[in-house]
Amino acid sequence: MHRIPIFGMRGIGLKLSRTEYEVAVMSTLQSIEKPLSLESVEARLPPLHLPGQENILPALRRLAIGMVFPLLLLALWKVATVHVWLPPQLLPDPAFVWESLKEMAASGELLGQALVSLKRVLWSMLLGGGSGLALGFAMGLSPRAKAYLYPSFSLLSQFPVIGWSPLMIIFFGIDEALKIATITVAVIVPFAVATYKGIQNVPVKLMEVGRIYGFSFRQTLWHIALPAALPAILGGVRQGGMQAWLALVFVELLASSEGLGYLLVYSRNLMQLDVVMVCMAAIGLIGLLFDLALTRLEQHFSRLSPKGY
Amino acid sequence: MGKHENMTMKKTFTLTFAALLAFGATLTASAQENPKVIRVAVSGAGTGGKPASSGSILTTAHQRGDLEKEFAKDGIKVEWTFFVGAGPATNEALALKKVDFASQGDLPLIVARSNGLRTRIIMKRQQFDKTYVVVPTSSPARTIEDLKGKKWTVQKGTATQLVLNRVLKKFGIKEEEIKLIDMNSDSQTAALSTGDVDAALSSSKDLVARGLVRRIYLVDDPKVNPPGNLWVSEEFEAKYPQIVQRFVSALVRTAAWSADEKNRDEIFRLWAKSGTPYADFKEDYKDTALRDRQNPLLDEYYTTFIKNSIAEAKEFRFIRRDVPFEGWIEPKYLNTALKEEKLEGFWDEFDGNAVRKKKSGAK
Repeated sequence: MHRIPIFGMRGIGLKLSRTEYEVAVMSTLQSIEKPLSLESVEARLPPLHLPGQENILPALRRLAIGMVFPLLLLALWKVATVHVWLPPQLLPDPAFVWESLKEMAASGELLGQALVSLKRVLWSMLLGGGSGLALGFAMGLSPRAKAYLYPSFSLLSQFPVIGWSPLMIIFFGIDEALKIATITVAVIVPFAVATYKGIQNVPVKLMEVGRIYGFSFRQTLWHIALPAALPAILGGVRQGGMQAWLALVFVELLASSEGLGYLLVYSRNLMQLDVVMVCMAAIGLIGLLFDLALTRLEQHFSRLSPKGY
Repeated sequence: MGKHENMTMKKTFTLTFAALLAFGATLTASAQENPKVIRVAVSGAGTGGKPASSGSILTTAHQRGDLEKEFAKDGIKVEWTFFVGAGPATNEALALKKVDFASQGDLPLIVARSNGLRTRIIMKRQQFDKTYVVVPTSSPARTIEDLKGKKWTVQKGTATQLVLNRVLKKFGIKEEEIKLIDMNSDSQTAALSTGDVDAALSSSKDLVARGLVRRIYLVDDPKVNPPGNLWVSEEFEAKYPQIVQRFVSALVRTAAWSADEKNRDEIFRLWAKSGTPYADFKEDYKDTALRDRQNPLLDEYYTTFIKNSIAEAKEFRFIRRDVPFEGWIEPKYLNTALKEEKLEGFWDEFDGNAVRKKKSGAK
């Protein structure tokens, strides 16, 4: 008898007889009217995972798959240095970079510079995040505020951070103020947009309930808008965090005497490309950790947030 | 087929073969003899990134087209690059084999060698430069000591950084005791004029005249201000030694012209094309003979300076690996040029302390 693979199920090696297949197709067709269509088919499937492994195995698998590309890149890098495709002064051996990483980590230099950069990012996240939130809430909750602010806001949010820098230098000089102000500008936009969109998407029913109960503005904000918009806002925090790191590196390249971005440029001038790569790795890693933590937080809150139905 | 015929064929064959060989040899020989283009890099650019520079034998030759004239007869082009990124940028170009000859300050030169880039120093570009410690006009600082703990700016990784370290050391200030901000020279000017930085090294009289900065200290120590270097890549030298010789000889002729006091005005005018005003050079060279500063000799002063710079680069931790000094300086092209141009003894030699050596006549 012919055994026909069902579309999309090859991966798990499921094969059905013709009759089984027909049943499956039928139930799929019925699914147009009936929700949870594949129930009948799924009922016949062997369990895909043993209980308890559900979370660990796929996570490990995802990690392993995610590592394939970086490992390939690393291999390519190694091959490129062995065959000297690029001069060793410009593309150092991965082993040498690893040595420098260990050295810099042990001497505390890496941590020291990273802390300087982190401090700048955190300040900007507070300032930019705070004002972005306020702006987003204002535009989301009050049609009047939206009418006044939204056009200017959408215009200003078009400029990349680099476009701001000449003006920023005139206003803030080249000190800490410049760094924090520039990163702040980069952070405000994603915060405000996410908050605004989050509130826009708060289920109308919830807002109506609030209105029926005669909620004050504060009550609407605290008990309806904020909790419902929280996942979206956290998404904005994540976006903002990423923007902050990008802007940080740019602004530290501009004029600085400390921080990871600074160390990167300085090392390039002294032809210490290994240090440059260590800095890149550190910036990437911190950004990744930041993103992971925020994703976690976002998932946590999205489970808690109230649904409209 | 007769024996004679056979002989002729053999002969023809041999002849053809020999001709082919000879032709091939000529081909390879001419490929060896002349490059199509000579790539010259200058570590630094004029104001606003202008492709011109000033102050040295090489830049005079650039403005006068001396090298172009020398090589035009063989159809060899001379290609100039002026790096705003200064010495460090030249090093990257060297690593990518995009430069044949270059002028560079001592620190990037040493950084390159400590990283295994192969260069041969063939002559000096100039020496005994002057520079000033400048502060914004509004600054209350009167002395270097007043600038302790303040914000200084320098283009890091360039020779000026080493100059700054030497100045600070002279005044017993450690690098940790100031805040050092990395900027290129155009940004430095902007930052000084807005008061964003407290001090920088600058030789510009123009900034003073425009009321943007005030000079508080003259750095006029030949053991602090580095001589200018000129190198050829080892690869180029190995391939085209005769071109290196002609390059150096042409520059020696430029140097002799530059040493002539009656050309003083014209030299300054040529240099002013870089954007630095004429008056700057006039003031800078006020009490010095052109011949002493536009001096190509690889004398004791020069070698001592470079050796000291290597030690300092290590002391200030700009390099992590040793820099082999042996075989780095190659004076043979310069010596040949001096002999050919009958200029032996024309320039004075200076000793390790930058003191003029007694004339010993022609060497």
